[in-house]
Amino acid sequence: MAQSSSVQSTFGPSSTGQTLLTPEMMAKLERMELVSRKIFRGRMKGERRSKRKGQSVEFADFRNYVAGDDLRFIDWNLFARLDRLYLKIFLEEEDLHVYTLVDDSLSMDFGTPTKFLTAKRIAAALGYIGLCRGDRVSVSTFSKAASPLVVRGRASSHRLIGQLQGSECQSSTPSMEESVRRFCLKNTGKGIVILITDLMNKTGYEAALKMLVAREMDIYLIHILSPEELQPKLTGDLKLMDAEDSDMREVSISSSLLQRYRLTLDAFIESARSFCNRRSIAYVSVRSDQEIDPLLNEYLRTRGLVR
Amino acid sequence: MTWINMLSPLQWALLLAIPPAILSLYFLKLKRQEALVPSTMLWKRAIEDLHVNSIWQKLRKNLLLYLQLLFLGLLILACIRPGWSGTNRVGERRIYIIDHSASMQATDTKPSRLDIAREKALRLIQDAGSNDSAMVISTSDRASVEQGFTNNRSLLEKAIQRIEPTTQLTEVSEAFRVAAGLANPGRLSFEDNVDIQVADAVPATVYFFSDGAVGELNEAEFGQLKIEYVPIGNIETQNAGIVGFAIQRPESKEAQAKQGAISAFARMVQYGSDPVECTASLYLDNTLIDAQKVKLPPGEETGIQFDLEGVDSGALKLELDHPDALALDNVAYAAIRPDRQVNILLITSGNNALETALGTQRIGQIANVQVEPRSYLASPEYQAAASDAKYDLIIYDSCSPEKMPAASTLFIGGMPPADIQPRLPESLADKPTEESPPDQWSFGEPSGPVIIMDVNRSHPISQYLEMASVGIVEARVIKPPAAGTVLMLSDAGPIFSISPRGAFQDAVLGFDIVRPSESGFEMNSDWGIKRSFPVFVFAAVEHLAGGVTEASAPTVQPGMPMPLLLSNRFKTYKVIDPKGRSETIDRGADGRFLYTKTDELGVYEVRAEGLEEPVERFCVNLFSNRESNLKVGLELQTGAESIAATSNTLRARQELWRWLLLLALGLLMLEWIVFNRRIFI
Repeated sequence: MAQSSSVQSTFGPSSTGQTLLTPEMMAKLERMELVSRKIFRGRMKGERRSKRKGQSVEFADFRNYVAGDDLRFIDWNLFARLDRLYLKIFLEEEDLHVYTLVDDSLSMDFGTPTKFLTAKRIAAALGYIGLCRGDRVSVSTFSKAASPLVVRGRASSHRLIGQLQGSECQSSTPSMEESVRRFCLKNTGKGIVILITDLMNKTGYEAALKMLVAREMDIYLIHILSPEELQPKLTGDLKLMDAEDSDMREVSISSSLLQRYRLTLDAFIESARSFCNRRSIAYVSVRSDQEIDPLLNEYLRTRGLVR
Repeated sequence: MTWINMLSPLQWALLLAIPPAILSLYFLKLKRQEALVPSTMLWKRAIEDLHVNSIWQKLRKNLLLYLQLLFLGLLILACIRPGWSGTNRVGERRIYIIDHSASMQATDTKPSRLDIAREKALRLIQDAGSNDSAMVISTSDRASVEQGFTNNRSLLEKAIQRIEPTTQLTEVSEAFRVAAGLANPGRLSFEDNVDIQVADAVPATVYFFSDGAVGELNEAEFGQLKIEYVPIGNIETQNAGIVGFAIQRPESKEAQAKQGAISAFARMVQYGSDPVECTASLYLDNTLIDAQKVKLPPGEETGIQFDLEGVDSGALKLELDHPDALALDNVAYAAIRPDRQVNILLITSGNNALETALGTQRIGQIANVQVEPRSYLASPEYQAAASDAKYDLIIYDSCSPEKMPAASTLFIGGMPPADIQPRLPESLADKPTEESPPDQWSFGEPSGPVIIMDVNRSHPISQYLEMASVGIVEARVIKPPAAGTVLMLSDAGPIFSISPRGAFQDAVLGFDIVRPSESGFEMNSDWGIKRSFPVFVFAAVEHLAGGVTEASAPTVQPGMPMPLLLSNRFKTYKVIDPKGRSETIDRGADGRFLYTKTDELGVYEVRAEGLEEPVERFCVNLFSNRESNLKVGLELQTGAESIAATSNTLRARQELWRWLLLLALGLLMLEWIVFNRRIFI
């Protein structure tokens, strides 16, 4: 924590140095697959169906032969029957771009375990799934949104995990909107965007999400909250200090105030969910103290992110 | 609702500074503990919802602040002692006069009127402001200051508690005089005529707790007093009482022939509107000897008579078995006097008038009169009798003994011997001084004629004497010693005086009735044929010899002094009161016995040392219409004016401050609970 030691330590220690994925976990992840609800054009030959027509085994369509077409794709059986030249078109299989954006603002450095650790684990797990499926996996934090780590192939998994393990919450993290804007400028390709954040952004999250929606990406928003945020254990007359901008709020904790806080929190989650639903963004709410194994195997599976 | 200020302006200022101080504590920022949160975004929204940033909103829902302010408010309220039914009485002077006469023993208001009066007075004392000073006076037939002016409430309360019921009558004007005098001491004069104003005249309020049976008051006695009359008791209280009880030996000779025939008379009154029927029981020495049914019509006096025989002496008690509010007047006492005859020796060479006066039937009833000639003075019988106190009274008519006998004496015309002079203590006798008043008899030379100018109406011997028409040829001036009393004053000086001599009394009349002359006897005064002469002789026998004329023992009202006619043979007597307490009485300066402790109702006995039978009895009875009539007077008459009763429901202040403090304590506990709930949600 960057704050002074006099500050009440409500939340857990920093998450660096902890193992993100265990071997058992990785074994399970190898059998899984990221689900894209859209078909994108890839960059390289891969295992994913692409919008591009190409040389896979899957038939896609016929079209009239025009001069210069590859003669190997002429459907000779059809020519024999109709005496006309038709070209058989096959679906192309290309790689999928999986972009993972992890919020590394200071607000993520809270909870037991911290939200950031849980976020890194989720990012690592999803990234590993992608690597195993031959997808193009790009991982970056908000502060390094313009220079993501882009890896492909299972062999690069250690780079991915190492990158994540080495990242920490930054006090200089730009806002979510700024980070997403930089991300969009850098990554012109399409694919799945997995945004792992607590949405605790005073300037709002709506602009950032709209930007991604405009890029026609398949967006997954993993909203991560710590139990301390969901059920605060605060008492007495307190001066609450915002971890990010050192904003001070004086509160006298009373049952009515706590009640009001919970209502506000529920309204906040609900508004985020409905905002995402209206824009076909898959909204997934995660508690930071959830176990990563059931989280991926059951929770995210039922929510359609993996299969 | 009224208030009593208990704080000085400075204390008020301090007290009133506390609420703003508490408020400012809430305005000031609390020393809050810092807590780091991921984001204050949600908190901010929650706080905005509660509007806790606004000061007034902040105060609006702060229960602790309200409790603290309420607590303080209650404390302040308690400090100004709110109450009701009182007026502002700062620095007032109060005088509580509590009637504790016999009628205040009435039980028409439970437990008794006196208890109610005390209770009301105590409540008024509690009601008084802290600067008020008050005094307590109890009054019956005399007033006594139970507690002088003080603002110490406990002293006042103790004084009130000390007031005990008495059987005495009501004489309240003395109490008002005392109150007026003590309330406004006015000036203090010293011997050298220095007049000092000792206190400013401050009007005082008198709270007079009484049932109103006080008679008429003199308004002038009140001075600057403001009278608040607090009537005690129920207005229409009924009461039957005995107002008179006497016994008499029958006059008729037939009846007298019967041994110990006696008649007892009683008068009873029912005060109230309902007739009463009850039984009157007569006890002789606590043994029931007769009873009669009595019907008492309302408001009228009823008489009953008991004729008794074989009653020679003893104490009679008449009792009405009618339970009413006042028990004191349902019992009356009478006593048959001990049959006691006094011995009188008359030494005369012949005095018809005197002998006739001594030979009346009434004197015959009380005295044995022995008449002897002058020569008897020299006889050994006389010598023995004179020294043995055989006689109660020796009358020397125109003669005198050689030395004074052991008996009371009456000298008519004669000169007492030299040893009549009281024996002075040796120390004084050795050094006679000219300045000191003559402490011995002095006799002038006969002169005449003399005219009697004045008769001492206060002395029992001379009180009924009418001497204006008495002519005296010759008389000598008789000046008594300092202890003596002049009974008759002529133009030449005192001619009849009386003075005590040890246990006895000597009366010396300065002129003869008849005196021997060459032709036998000649009249020196025509008193002997005047009507006042036998009266004088009878009074002299009664007083000097202690003769008893009536069968019925005298009766007095409680608290009144009882003058006793007792034989001169004894210096002191013992009086035994109805409760068996014994009191020794001495002969007073004027030679009379006076008993004053007549507070108990009943029969008192007077005993002399060495005698088995009592020598005298007397009774103390209430016998007062005013005390027996329990109707409560609603106003006091003072001449033309009348003082109306203060509201009968005069209530003391009902104080609230104790309740307020209790409530404040409760609030404090509530505040503690609220505070704890707030901390440990």
